Amino acid sequence: MTTVVSAQEPRQGESGTAAPGAADPAEGARIFASTCGFCHQDGGRVAGRGPKLAGTERSDEFMLNRIRTGKDGAMPAYGRAFSDAQVRSLLAYIRSLKDDAR
Amino acid sequence: MTRRRGALYTTGLATIMLLATACSMMKSESAGGGGTAGASMAAPSGGGDWITYHGTYQSWHYSPLTEINADNVKKLKVAWVHHPGRSTRGLQSTPLVADGVLYYTGSYSRVWALDAATGKPLWSYFPKLNDDLVAAQTHSPYTRGIALGMGKVYVGTVDGRLIAIDQKTGQPAWDTKLVNSEKLTVGFTGAPLFVKDKVIIGAQGGEWPGRGPIFGVDANSGKKLWEFFTVAGTDEAMKTWGGESWKTGGGGGWMAGGYDAETNTVWWGTGNPAPLYDWAGADWKTSGPRPGDNLFTTSVIALDPDTGKLKFYHQELPHDAWDFDSAVGEFVMLDRDGKKLVVHPNKGGHVFVYDRGNGKVVNVWQLAKNINFVKGVDPKTGELIGRRDLPLGKHSNLCPAIAGGMSWNSGSYNPKTGLYYKIGQEWCMDLEVIKTTPVLEPQAQLDIGANFTLRNPEGSKAYGHLDARDPVTGDKKWEVNFPEPPLASLLSTGGNLVFVPDPRGMLRAYDATNGKELWSHNNGIGHNGGIITYSAKGKQYIAVATGWGSLVGDEFGALFGEPYKSMPKDSGAIVVFTLE
Repeated sequence: MTTVVSAQEPRQGESGTAAPGAADPAEGARIFASTCGFCHQDGGRVAGRGPKLAGTERSDEFMLNRIRTGKDGAMPAYGRAFSDAQVRSLLAYIRSLKDDAR
Repeated sequence: MTRRRGALYTTGLATIMLLATACSMMKSESAGGGGTAGASMAAPSGGGDWITYHGTYQSWHYSPLTEINADNVKKLKVAWVHHPGRSTRGLQSTPLVADGVLYYTGSYSRVWALDAATGKPLWSYFPKLNDDLVAAQTHSPYTRGIALGMGKVYVGTVDGRLIAIDQKTGQPAWDTKLVNSEKLTVGFTGAPLFVKDKVIIGAQGGEWPGRGPIFGVDANSGKKLWEFFTVAGTDEAMKTWGGESWKTGGGGGWMAGGYDAETNTVWWGTGNPAPLYDWAGADWKTSGPRPGDNLFTTSVIALDPDTGKLKFYHQELPHDAWDFDSAVGEFVMLDRDGKKLVVHPNKGGHVFVYDRGNGKVVNVWQLAKNINFVKGVDPKTGELIGRRDLPLGKHSNLCPAIAGGMSWNSGSYNPKTGLYYKIGQEWCMDLEVIKTTPVLEPQAQLDIGANFTLRNPEGSKAYGHLDARDPVTGDKKWEVNFPEPPLASLLSTGGNLVFVPDPRGMLRAYDATNGKELWSHNNGIGHNGGIITYSAKGKQYIAVATGWGSLVGDEFGALFGEPYKSMPKDSGAIVVFTLE
């Protein structure tokens, strides 16, 4: 398992590593640990309250739509809370997860 | 069973009478009080009604009714069922009964009034909620209970309102917006508490970056009278938050507390601070996201219901770094050897016993077995011994897991057996603490600060247990194990019974004296709400909420497999039993 965030990495909104609006997996990892990891366990690597995300075969379109609109009674909609770049960063983080088939 | 007028008065004079009655009944606590004229929420055992969330202000979740008892419980049959519809995340609420009418709420704060003997609907009220907000919430759309008083039914909403409904007609009397949920994302899921002529309700908080207020509202007009911030609510408390961390401190008081009429004191438990985990580890006093003790998070607080002023407090876990909050709402009030005590379970798995007069710790005992976030808690002072702080990085086998050694559902105290019945939860987790920044704009978001995975304790499987213990000393009389922790509240009765609504869907009745199982019934879906008993038209009934899908229950599929993987999370009903 790789550690995707360290204390030395810039805080959210201070990122100097990615162009504005670009998908940044490190930024996605920070948002994930703040908000998404409550349900998607081990950073999305295994199933918990929410499904396992590592290795998902869902399309980018499906994933972006699910993050933005949620699922009634199961997952909140983040379309108003997070910018388009943040949502894409979350997807970039999810796609970066290794699926070691646990 | 003696029929009586409920404690639901409409005039100020009657309110004064209620208080006077309450005080006099407090003094004769050992008398039982069943079916007594003028019995009230302050009566220790509630008589034939169930008029406040915890049964009475003493939080016993006990009824003196004896028609259904250990000798005849085998003849218990379903009397009626009511389906509210739209039970997203299951029915997590506890019904109330007054004067032959059963009132309850469920998901989306829909409120029903039913004939308590037949289940015939008398009225319903479905508040219109902010659907966009509800869709963006995590701890939503369940509502865990209501309050009754002064001819009204009171219910909170997840979009931050407290609503009063006329008890007879079902028409709204007032609707007061208390929390800017559109900005803070959270609102109300817990039951309000009716005290004298006020309605008290606590906002959600915990890992949500706000200040988690508790409100006092005028029951007649709906006007907000006071607001107590569980985060930095006093000058002293403000000093326990480094920098500006108090602005996003979490806290909250999301379960209804108790009321001591003798001293006019409301007891309330508060949520954990945000972010939930703290990358500063052992350096939390001076660095990290929220340096300091973080008052009044993970605390029990005593408030004056008339002013909202703090009388005293005890912080059960200074600088909680594990989400083992004090929001469990039950404050079991007892008299023992001339001492007035209150017993309060903490989510971390310890039970705290306090002096009711000043909040000083009298004893602390351990209910959950798998605990390693501290080595212990000093039973004389309540001080934590050997904290396990969790700095940035990976940590293995933290016990209990985030779901706690105990959850928010209530236990039960039975004055006949002298035993306190309470569920313990045994599970652990691995986690990686990660540095985060609170997200406040345009809408506040969860601030967890870790990724985690629930797991079995080392050397055993995760499970739950029903304990029957002395509430003050913790001495164990008996214990029943469950393959998965029951997540519903418990009920004990004067008929020597303890009822456990279990997670697989079985409602089970045990002999309160020895723990022998006497009866069970399959309700077809897990239980994650309340259970009460009451008398209507001269017969005793047991009413239980069914339905699955709370945030703790959501963990069961991955941890335990079936039946939880396929258990519906959009269903639930009130199922009512009586003797055939």
